Amino acid sequence: MADNNEYLDELRPIGETTQFIVIKLGDEQYGIDIKYIDNIVRMQHITRVPKVDEYLKGVINLRGEVIPVMSIRIQMGLEPDVETKASRIIILKLEQRGTLGIMVDEVKEVVTLENDRIDKIAYDAKDERASFLCGVGKSDGGLISLLDLNAVVPENL
Amino acid sequence: MDVSQYLEIFLDETNEHLQNLNTQILSLEQDPENNDTINEIFRAAHSLKGMAGTMGYKRMQTLTHDMENVFSEVRNGNIKVTADMIDVLFQCLDALEEYNTNIRESSDEGTNDNGALIKRLNDIMSGGAGAESAPAAAAPAPAAAEEAPAADNGFSGIKLGEAQRSVLGEAIKMGKNVYGLTVKVQESCILKAARAFLVFKAIEETSEIIVSDPSSQDIEDEKFEQHFSLIIVSETELETVLNAARGVSEIEEVTGSALKPEDMKVSEEDSGAAEVQSAPAAQEAPAAQEAPAVQAAPAAPAEPTVQDTPAAAVPAAQKAAAAAPAAKKQTASKPVVNRTVRVDIEKLDTLMNLVSELIIAKNSLVSASAMSGNSSQAVNEQIEYLESVTTSLHESVMKVRMVPIESTVNKFPRMVRDLQKKLGKKMELYMSGEETELDRTVVDQIGDPLMHLLRNSADHGLESAAVRKERGKPEVGSIFLDAYQDGNNVVIEVRDDGNGIDTNAVKNKAIERGVITPEQGEAMSEKEIIDLLFNAGFSTAKVVSDVSGRGVGLDVVKSMIESLSGEVEVKSKLGEGSTWTIRLPLTLAIIQALMVEIGDEKYAIALGSIQTIEDILPSEVKLVQAKEVITLRDQVIPLIRLNEVLEVPSKKGPEDNLVVVVVKKGDKLAGLVVDELIGQLEIVIKSLGKYINKCKIISGATVLGDGEVALILDANTLI
Repeated sequence: MADNNEYLDELRPIGETTQFIVIKLGDEQYGIDIKYIDNIVRMQHITRVPKVDEYLKGVINLRGEVIPVMSIRIQMGLEPDVETKASRIIILKLEQRGTLGIMVDEVKEVVTLENDRIDKIAYDAKDERASFLCGVGKSDGGLISLLDLNAVVPENL
Repeated sequence: MDVSQYLEIFLDETNEHLQNLNTQILSLEQDPENNDTINEIFRAAHSLKGMAGTMGYKRMQTLTHDMENVFSEVRNGNIKVTADMIDVLFQCLDALEEYNTNIRESSDEGTNDNGALIKRLNDIMSGGAGAESAPAAAAPAPAAAEEAPAADNGFSGIKLGEAQRSVLGEAIKMGKNVYGLTVKVQESCILKAARAFLVFKAIEETSEIIVSDPSSQDIEDEKFEQHFSLIIVSETELETVLNAARGVSEIEEVTGSALKPEDMKVSEEDSGAAEVQSAPAAQEAPAAQEAPAVQAAPAAPAEPTVQDTPAAAVPAAQKAAAAAPAAKKQTASKPVVNRTVRVDIEKLDTLMNLVSELIIAKNSLVSASAMSGNSSQAVNEQIEYLESVTTSLHESVMKVRMVPIESTVNKFPRMVRDLQKKLGKKMELYMSGEETELDRTVVDQIGDPLMHLLRNSADHGLESAAVRKERGKPEVGSIFLDAYQDGNNVVIEVRDDGNGIDTNAVKNKAIERGVITPEQGEAMSEKEIIDLLFNAGFSTAKVVSDVSGRGVGLDVVKSMIESLSGEVEVKSKLGEGSTWTIRLPLTLAIIQALMVEIGDEKYAIALGSIQTIEDILPSEVKLVQAKEVITLRDQVIPLIRLNEVLEVPSKKGPEDNLVVVVVKKGDKLAGLVVDELIGQLEIVIKSLGKYINKCKIISGATVLGDGEVALILDANTLI
């Protein structure tokens, strides 16, 4: 893959730290590397686009720009999103794939993890959800599944 | 001197000059005698040389210098334009182009001396030198003959009105010279008026024409035999003026002398007596014809007269410009001083973006004022004013970005000429509508697809001369490139009178390549088969040539045009030729749109594609082949229920009247059924990005006044 250097999770130097934003999908906590996050906005009206894949929820207006929004819940095979007051759209800026938003149930906090506290995940072919993760981090609040944006955001939608 | 800061300008201007040279040399090939063209070429080569020299590109300078020398000899009539020479000149242009590319890439011209080319140029020069002696020997001493015939000359018959006399008197007082000229046009000349016009123009570069006989109106209407006479006021030498006039082709001779005040006759009547005057002029003609014949010898190397700034030629020039429509072509090639500014396209993009922002802000203001409900009259008036200002601002910025497609299509005649040699077929390219304007970014990118299509026509479309003859067609194949504006679109057509598309061959090839199965092939319509051509990796050429036939052409064409939000269509008739039609939107950024509501979603439809809006009773909807249609003014129009296409529940019941937006694509119509009309709005088109480009019926999105996003329906793909 041409852009496999975009997510250098395996190459995080030992002894240094990485910051993650912790989000919730249902009861589970997920971490997204902070360097890919451009912005976090409140839930707003999403304009549906007809005839696209189900996980693409539509487009929103972000400061005059039209940005697509996708649902990671649907992408990961979870229950469809239910909008609450806590729902947020995280705007990601990915080098190769441009800007897009992902819907999450809640944004909890920012954690700083030492790189030696991030464990690689044992690949389990049966667990479909594991293919969207690139590791597990241990923090005071418990275990955080670290999202592999490479896998979550399809390259060619 | 550090010249790097001028590099951009240098490259731009070099490109322009090269393009100009290409065009001019092509027209020189058609009309080797045209002095205007030769002068223009000389000037362009000269400027190129100067620029290259300033920038320190020695090799480029040497080559252009030698080219200039050749043109200079041609201009002086010492060597004739030959087919061989044209070939060499084109090679020179290619070499210059190469230098230019090198400079663009590395700001260095490269190390290719093009010695062979320079040698050939010099050969042409020395070949010309041999011929030079002939006219020189034939030239008798002209000096003495010059003044003698003055008395008998046609111009002395010109009668002057009071006003003209006073103008001339004034001129003499101011130390200017007054000359009388008689010009004789060759007997074989067909466009006498045009030649006369060129003489007028040449003279006006240094002088002011006071009066002519016959009148300029009569000259324009070709109401003269072979002669016409002029009285002019000039600051330059008589010889310079005479040479300028002699420089025009098909002019047999020009004679003249200085006039003194007492030479000027007063007309019995006033200046309106042109008809009477033409008679004496014609009678005197034979005399004038014989006496100064010796002067026909080639003039000494004429100085580029253009450089002498004309003092007061303007009013007369205007008159003359109106006088000879036949000479229009020649005038177009004369560079006029443009009052222009070169602007970086990026600055224009920024400006356009700001205008877009402004329009969004204006739309927000409109909806905010509507929301607040109790908006006063004054606020509304101001908003309306703002609206009209933003609209005209947008239009002006858009116009700034529009350039004629000329700059792109100009290189095609040359390309077709080269193809002709390479393919060994006879063909001619006819272009029209080069002045059609398009957004600069589109013009820049439309070149490659058009080139592909032209090559395709030349290579696959046109048959060889032998086959054409057999089929009773003219041996020379024709390729047409027509551009024109059609509503909010610009249409560019590439047409040839060649073989057309052999659908059977295409079908077999597709089956062979595994693009379709034989069963699919059976079921496909002709149009579907032709569309297969746009498939990647498809080429029916039996031999891969370096012109086309690698199968990378048409799919690239299609995707490039689609990336410009355009579309390409092909119509073909076997044995008669094919037409490729490219349809491009006039602007890419801001359009007028009709906002409609379907279910609880808002959509925009470009106003340019909308024909009418109709209110239709449910009973008027008929079924034809299980498809809903309506009949409007004797035309059957298929209905498209947008709520079904867009998968939204409609708010309307089956008993309600239908709101139908009739849209047009080319000559096809369709009725789009919507729930409600909201109104007209100026919208800024935003791309949906590559994540959502799968949805073909949506061509983009726009941000509405309330901050919501509405999608733009592409009527073209719905039809």
